[in-house]
Amino acid sequence: MHIPDGFIDGRTAAVAGVISAVGVGFALRQVRRELPPRRVPLLGLSAAFLFAAQMVNFPVAGGTSGHLVGGTLVAALLGPSAAVVVVTTVLIVQCFLFQDGGVTALGANVFNMAIINSVVGYLIYRVVCRWLTGVRGRVTAIAFAAWCATVLAAISCAGQLAWSGTIPWSVAFPAMTTVHMFIGVGEGLISALVFLAVYRARPDLITETTQMAQTQRLGELVGYGLLVTLGIAVFIAPFACSWPDGLDSVAEKFGFNHKLAAPLLAAPAPDYQVPGIHWAVGATATAGAVGSLIVFALALLMGRWLVPKPKDS
Amino acid sequence: MNAAIEITNLKYRYHDGTEALRGVSFCITSGECVALLGPNGSGKSTLLLHLNGILPEKLSGDGAVKILGEPVAPEKLEAVRRQVGLVFQDPDDQLFCPTVQEDVAFGPQQLGLGDAEVAARVQKALAQVGLAGFGHRATHHLSHGEKRRVCLAGVLACEPAILILDEPTSDLDPRGRREFKALLRQIPATKLIATHDLELVVELCSRAIVLDRGSVVADGPVFELLNDEQLMLEHGLERPHILWHVHPH
Amino acid sequence: MAGAQAKGLVSVHLIHHFHGRHESPIHRLPAALKLGLALVIIVATVLAPIQWRGWFLGVAGLLVLMAIVSRLPPFFLFRRLLALSPFVLGVVLVNAYQPAGRVNWLGVAFKSVLCLLTVILVSNTTPFSQILRVLKSIRVPALLITTIALMHRYLFVLMDEAERMRRARASRTFTRGRRFHWRALATVVGQLFIRASERAERIYDAMCARGWK
Repeated sequence: MHIPDGFIDGRTAAVAGVISAVGVGFALRQVRRELPPRRVPLLGLSAAFLFAAQMVNFPVAGGTSGHLVGGTLVAALLGPSAAVVVVTTVLIVQCFLFQDGGVTALGANVFNMAIINSVVGYLIYRVVCRWLTGVRGRVTAIAFAAWCATVLAAISCAGQLAWSGTIPWSVAFPAMTTVHMFIGVGEGLISALVFLAVYRARPDLITETTQMAQTQRLGELVGYGLLVTLGIAVFIAPFACSWPDGLDSVAEKFGFNHKLAAPLLAAPAPDYQVPGIHWAVGATATAGAVGSLIVFALALLMGRWLVPKPKDS
Repeated sequence: MNAAIEITNLKYRYHDGTEALRGVSFCITSGECVALLGPNGSGKSTLLLHLNGILPEKLSGDGAVKILGEPVAPEKLEAVRRQVGLVFQDPDDQLFCPTVQEDVAFGPQQLGLGDAEVAARVQKALAQVGLAGFGHRATHHLSHGEKRRVCLAGVLACEPAILILDEPTSDLDPRGRREFKALLRQIPATKLIATHDLELVVELCSRAIVLDRGSVVADGPVFELLNDEQLMLEHGLERPHILWHVHPH
Repeated sequence: MAGAQAKGLVSVHLIHHFHGRHESPIHRLPAALKLGLALVIIVATVLAPIQWRGWFLGVAGLLVLMAIVSRLPPFFLFRRLLALSPFVLGVVLVNAYQPAGRVNWLGVAFKSVLCLLTVILVSNTTPFSQILRVLKSIRVPALLITTIALMHRYLFVLMDEAERMRRARASRTFTRGRRFHWRALATVVGQLFIRASERAERIYDAMCARGWK
């Protein structure tokens, strides 16, 4: 999902860059406050770990293989802010050292893979954990959360490509989303398996539940939530709903010179419909909704299979 | 008596409750070169981590460990670490900077020295270990032997009074071992070396302390201890062949 | 994740160790200059409209000249540029439907190639520690710089560990069942995290031992 240079235009890159800079800055501040000095090298080492782990090929049918992106996994192990910093580090090194992902696209890539993956994944993970307790609950939670985060990141990426005019929404959304609904299964499965392996061997290394007060953690999540919502509003919403029309009329009512704002808003509809698949958008959205229910059920089954009941305390 | 290191009844337990050190006591005078022997799991590395205050995690300053006469206490940590240079077992753990120059400079910089002084110390330390001109090399490109020597240089750059080494010659090829031995011989500091390399012990050290299961089971001159075959075998060691060929005087 | 993934250690090491083996005027230029220039080229190329053919040709010419002067092996450069192909293919396919697509797929592809070539040239002629120093001078937060530095330092250490564990595991795998294979690989990855965590603690101890506060 690493977007190269040239695939997103200046406007998208700039907006994504600003949002990501704020997000990463916020994450760094949080990490500096919560992380004991003893754990500082762990950030760098976790980034190295993630990169090394991404090299491990999990064989799937034929010649293909699954990989781990790992944002949700790291968030479940170290907390959301640490995960944002860790994944951002991985992306920066991948960009400069391995030319994986563009320099101007760094903002977008960081938003999709570091922020959405870590934050949304973590949020869903905690929500599901609250509902299903125990080790089995955690395994289910992380599998489902990783899947959701992968799909949402893909949607965001599609939005960025569409906003830049590189690929129209009507193609980008169905293509990216359906592909990542399948990739997400691998990510969820691998995240859960790895989490379980770590939990069984050294549960003390899982530091995502720090001594932070409930209110502080809530504040942190609200901060991230706002940022993610902004990103979604900018990259996804204009395509998902015909906002700009509504926004236009609202602006007119209040006398804003909406023409000035026009360059900042996405085009109300894709510039052109690719013949034959204009229904793909609606179909994908439905598939996504149904898919998440199916994946959740699968995650539950997997939890049951991986964590036998008698040992569960 | 000029005690560089004084340990009195040191005890330590791991997180899971197992006793790592059960009342260890010994004294090392300035200028001595002492070997710390013992089978794997005897607590050698754990003991060494007590000598510069990394362990116990909550320092009480109760005086179980005294460096140059001062108990290792939280307020004195900086001073202790200035005087005690610890070379870790895995050079990759210690070489955390990207280039050799930066890594050897780390210690002097933490000591608060000026740029010129730091550069001078780095040069001197690298020359001491025979790696002059290696400053610009990337740490992860070095061979194992070179890494070990850079670690030593990094510690020597701080000019400590006491040098502590944890398995310094393990994983080295014979030439690497010989070179490292020659290096150590030239360093005048008080030395405590935890090692399995019994030939190194015979050639460098005057005294040996044997640790087994957290307790000191023997403490005396090298030749006496190492020649005691029964003692050696009982504690997971052996009588080194080199003793057959070396005269004790 | 197309470009960087390699099935074994060897190819990744080849990618990375390159700048150390060559010397050229480009290698000797100050890092800040190279990075600054690269940034200008990349941003301008991305922002420039497709119609500015002069700009694109000029940049292309400059980059090819730099590539030659830098003495980097051309086949190596070409292989790195191929990493773009899946994306370009995707865009081409989409636009194949459109007789008059607004998106000039050729333009997008060309822009990407130019930008990629710029990054390849800079990253292979500049030691990473110098790049970090430049980042530090533009006030990137210290915690992020430390994290990037440590990641870079221990990247190969961990990859070697991962490869060793994988080989050891494979040596004892006699079944061809995919289910067992996944669990085994997940255990390897889990172990990798544990080892990374333990190493991180030892690094902290080593830093403290030399006076870090």
